[in-house]
Amino acid sequence: MTFRKVALSNLRRNPVRSILTGLSLAVSAATLSVVLSLDRGYSSAVTDELVNKTGVHLYITKEGCPIEAASVIAQGGLSPLYVSEDVVEKVRKLPEVDVVMPFKLFSVTTDDGLRTDIFMGITEEVLEVKPDWRYSSGGWFESDSSVILGAEMARIEQLREGELMYSERFDREFRISGILERNYTQDDGIFFIPLKTAQELVGREGKLSAVAIKLRDIASMDATRNKIRAMMPQDHFVLGSKELSEGIFQFFGSTRAIMIVMVIVAAIISIFGIVNTMLMAVLERRREIAYLKCVGAGKLDLLRLISLETLAIAVAGSAVGAAAGAALSPVSGNLLREFLVAYVPSGSIARPDAGIALLAFTACVLIGLICSIYPALRAARIVPMEVLRNE
Amino acid sequence: MSNGHAFRLESVSKYYRRGSETVTAVRDVSLNVPPGGYIAVVGHSGSGKTTLLNLIGCLDRPSEGRIMINGEWIHEAREADLIRLRRSSIGFVFQQFFLIPTLSVLENVMLPELFSRRKNNGRARELLEMVQLDHRLDHLPGQLSGGEMQRVAIARALINSPSILLADEPTGNLDSRNAERIMGLFEQLNRNGVTVVVVTHNPNIATGCDRMVHIEDGRIIS
Repeated sequence: MTFRKVALSNLRRNPVRSILTGLSLAVSAATLSVVLSLDRGYSSAVTDELVNKTGVHLYITKEGCPIEAASVIAQGGLSPLYVSEDVVEKVRKLPEVDVVMPFKLFSVTTDDGLRTDIFMGITEEVLEVKPDWRYSSGGWFESDSSVILGAEMARIEQLREGELMYSERFDREFRISGILERNYTQDDGIFFIPLKTAQELVGREGKLSAVAIKLRDIASMDATRNKIRAMMPQDHFVLGSKELSEGIFQFFGSTRAIMIVMVIVAAIISIFGIVNTMLMAVLERRREIAYLKCVGAGKLDLLRLISLETLAIAVAGSAVGAAAGAALSPVSGNLLREFLVAYVPSGSIARPDAGIALLAFTACVLIGLICSIYPALRAARIVPMEVLRNE
Repeated sequence: MSNGHAFRLESVSKYYRRGSETVTAVRDVSLNVPPGGYIAVVGHSGSGKTTLLNLIGCLDRPSEGRIMINGEWIHEAREADLIRLRRSSIGFVFQQFFLIPTLSVLENVMLPELFSRRKNNGRARELLEMVQLDHRLDHLPGQLSGGEMQRVAIARALINSPSILLADEPTGNLDSRNAERIMGLFEQLNRNGVTVVVVTHNPNIATGCDRMVHIEDGRIIS
């Protein structure tokens, strides 16, 4: 005979109630697990995409909301703001600067609004700022009408190197000079065309969406940024890639706050559910508990017994919830992607892992144990003679 | 047993507060019971017999007077000492059995060992054999009759080999045949040296006892 056996047997008295209580904790654990994996996943994806997977240290953009600039840079869209090509040569002369890559981004949406294609006008400097730029077939542009396809676009269009691609919007044919290897960034979904061609297609000759800069020594980033700022007209921004990602994280903050509120609400509901259930379980068994005291159960014995009952529910519910959270995180990531106003990086924005599952599990087990304190104290305080006399 | 008493009450009174009113449940009771004694406490409902049982069973302390159990004065004892005495020296049997419905018969009998930290698997089986329920070890209480449940409760009360067995209306929920069987068990236990105190409002139940204590309005009247 062990405390564990008695505790588990007590849970079998009302299995539906025990399961429902466990499920309330499971919801908390799952919510916590999903929110943590989304939070971590989003931060990692943005950092990967904007900081780690590019060799870009600084961006020059036109004045405006930095987040808008970020969205323009990373997602496409024909911003009314532009940077003049003149700045490229000025920056290129700086000794701290290794590579300067001007680019033009724009998007083309079909008339029915169902599809948006992102075009990026680039120069050969792209090869120096994108370390994982590799071709699965073909290579660099052969003419002004060449296009390099991101891996996902090649898959969707079912096009191969050397084939022609017709753009109805521009009434122009492009020959596919190369197809990129999949690198799980925005590049997978972009049509890359020569910079001059891009400017010509949207009637923005001599104008750029932004300029990406790679430095010789990243340690000089702050000083170089200040130097370039001083060179630029007042209405231009010089953003570090980390500032860009941090700006996006700030924008993501409101979404994060909503998610945290969801976790707190789920936890509060669980807390009330568990306290209520365990209190009912104690009150229903007052006479039995009184008898246990008669046969020598001390306060600590009863605290242990009630805590073990709660622990069993908490462990089962939290384990189910943490596992469910890990399983549901990718689905939740896709849902969040639909509703997210902030910049959405490519690839999965949910990154569940064992650490998150363990954290959610531990937190919810602790919540369960804390919830057992009051019912356990009520059980420990039962005065046998009062219960046995009055009931 | 020290001083020749299984238990001894000296001028014991017990008062309760009920709202603004003070209720005297036991009034100036003195009682000496030798080891191996077998007494019945008889009285009407509300006469104070259950309170007396609780005092002897270390579940409560007297408001006045002194109580000695197995040689220990308990009227000022710490809670931990009362618990120790309940674990080691006293067995309880109640009218309502208080068996755990999700534990088997054998597990119910072994339950007090959980708190006394004793391990003696064989004793539970021996006791169930004694109460003739060794064929029901794995049954749940819900599968037993009232008489069988009370026999399980008696076996459970004896698991820690108490020297004093306190029974509060042990036959109150049983038919006459089962009541006789239970009382026969108490007599058997008493013959084996256990001090037995049976509280009942039915004088017929008490006929086999060594001594019958009548209590009325908290006082022993005979």
